[in-house]
Amino acid sequence: MFSEQAARTAQGLLAPPSAEASTFARVPISTYTNCSQHFRLGERSFNRQYAHIYATRLIQMRPLLLERARQKWGSGIAVRKLCELQTAEKCCIVGTLFKSMQLQPSILREISEEHNLLPQPSRTKYIHQSDELILEDELQRIKLEGAVDIQKLVTGTILALYGSEREDGRFVVEDHCFADLPRQLPRRGPSTDRFVLLVSGLGLGGGSGESFLGMQLLVDVVTGQLGAEGEQSCAAQISRVILAGNLLSQNTQNKDTINKAKYLTKKTQAASVEAVKMLDEILLQLSASVPVDVMPGEFDPTNYTLPQQPLHHCMFPLAGAYSTLQLVTNPYQADIDGVRFLGTSGQNVNDIFKYSSMEDYLEILEWTLHVGHLSPTAPDTLGCYPFYKTDPFIFTDCPHVYFCGNAPRFQSKELTGVDGQQVLLVTIPDFSATQTACLINLRNLTCQPISFSGFSADEDEGEMEISH
Amino acid sequence: MVCDPVEDAVWTQLGAMGRKRLITDSFQVVKRQRRDPDTKEGSLQPEAVPVPAESPTDSSLHPAQLEMLKQFDLSWEYGPCTGITRLQRWERAESLGLSPPLMVRETLLEHEGDPSFMHCLWRDYPL
Repeated sequence: MFSEQAARTAQGLLAPPSAEASTFARVPISTYTNCSQHFRLGERSFNRQYAHIYATRLIQMRPLLLERARQKWGSGIAVRKLCELQTAEKCCIVGTLFKSMQLQPSILREISEEHNLLPQPSRTKYIHQSDELILEDELQRIKLEGAVDIQKLVTGTILALYGSEREDGRFVVEDHCFADLPRQLPRRGPSTDRFVLLVSGLGLGGGSGESFLGMQLLVDVVTGQLGAEGEQSCAAQISRVILAGNLLSQNTQNKDTINKAKYLTKKTQAASVEAVKMLDEILLQLSASVPVDVMPGEFDPTNYTLPQQPLHHCMFPLAGAYSTLQLVTNPYQADIDGVRFLGTSGQNVNDIFKYSSMEDYLEILEWTLHVGHLSPTAPDTLGCYPFYKTDPFIFTDCPHVYFCGNAPRFQSKELTGVDGQQVLLVTIPDFSATQTACLINLRNLTCQPISFSGFSADEDEGEMEISH
Repeated sequence: MVCDPVEDAVWTQLGAMGRKRLITDSFQVVKRQRRDPDTKEGSLQPEAVPVPAESPTDSSLHPAQLEMLKQFDLSWEYGPCTGITRLQRWERAESLGLSPPLMVRETLLEHEGDPSFMHCLWRDYPL
């Protein structure tokens, strides 16, 4: 986007100053609706067990799965509950998956006195050859074998299985199917080029100032203070900026001060205070010029359990004065100019990565869409609020753009569903490490990365480049 | 009475009818979060099944209704019953399309505010 315009007007940078300054008006947002109401929590009561969320998940998803099962294996298949299973009868069962993993960190094992074990070291992946899959429905559970990829699936997935029960009590699976993509509302995108910028992992307060220059370049590009008139006119087409989580760095979660006694840490200030002040200044520059949606992430000062509630506006005294600053939940769903966006700050994908053999973040993102659930591992290994009425993480309708933040690198893919749904999958890279952000064109749903790099210590010629 | 001290000790241990003496005879167990201050409270014996403390007047007036609500709690089709009120559970079952019996809702709305009706069977047990 920028390169074509820049080449044409590059001479403008060396021209003498003109009498009137050229101004570019930013494209107005025609329609914006925040559709994340079901992720907002009113009063929170933790006097409940998580059985409710699993029960509602199964009850809500069972009809979808039965429909898909009948489409796949014929409408005449026998659908049985686990208590009605008969040996060697081919039938279809629907239930919640549970993967019993040997290496899964268990608090009971940790505090068990007889084993006298040290806490388990943290790993990147907790899968093991000896993991077993068990299917549970409302009343019973049964162990699974056969044509089912044990390493790939994770706890909490609802699926339908076709097979038969063996004499020893295990269910031999011949085929399986997921809820797949839900129906999609028609996309009424804009007719001209309009861009949404997705950034994640700003990582403020990290201690190293390497990413500051990149961040300032990003802000300057978006606010139109960088480049010649060509680039500025392009930047005027950016209609929204979404910050997808991890605005603060992991270093602000200083474990030492958290675990120390209060009287020792009385005079020390939390590292996140300085970081939030820096964030406020950056948001001030951004929101003075463009609507900004700020999603909290894993290391941000909000609640830990999903869905994370918006950051409190009192943390942003400077930027909060602008109505363009929107503090939103994680996960976040919105209709921007007729295009449905849905995304998270990456905790769901990260958690599935730890407990599944899938290596690619984009593959995991696509898999959650096929499974029909945003984060099946919540509440087992990912903290989640004990919902009782509905499970808000089930996909009700298919988004047009589905993103996840804080991925190791930028990837994007256009996915076509069985019923003709078109989804753009985007994994937004961590900005503090990769200095890359994503631009999504709302007109044709394409995505391109935009990366910034500044002076680095080992380069001979200091070169500033904005590459895309 | 017998003046031998050993026999005396044995006699007092057995008591008049050979009943075993429990610590809860001297130290009554007080349950937390009592909502009915006027109910009779039996001492909680760890091995025996505790009696659900219901107000004596209510249970004698509506035993059939309470029994129906108890059956509603115990039916597994409508999901778990602990931790939420019966009315919340009924409304959840209704919104998920499980068609719970309307009688239950009417009974609950008649006795709104009465904890023995509103809360589920396991209300005395934390979580």
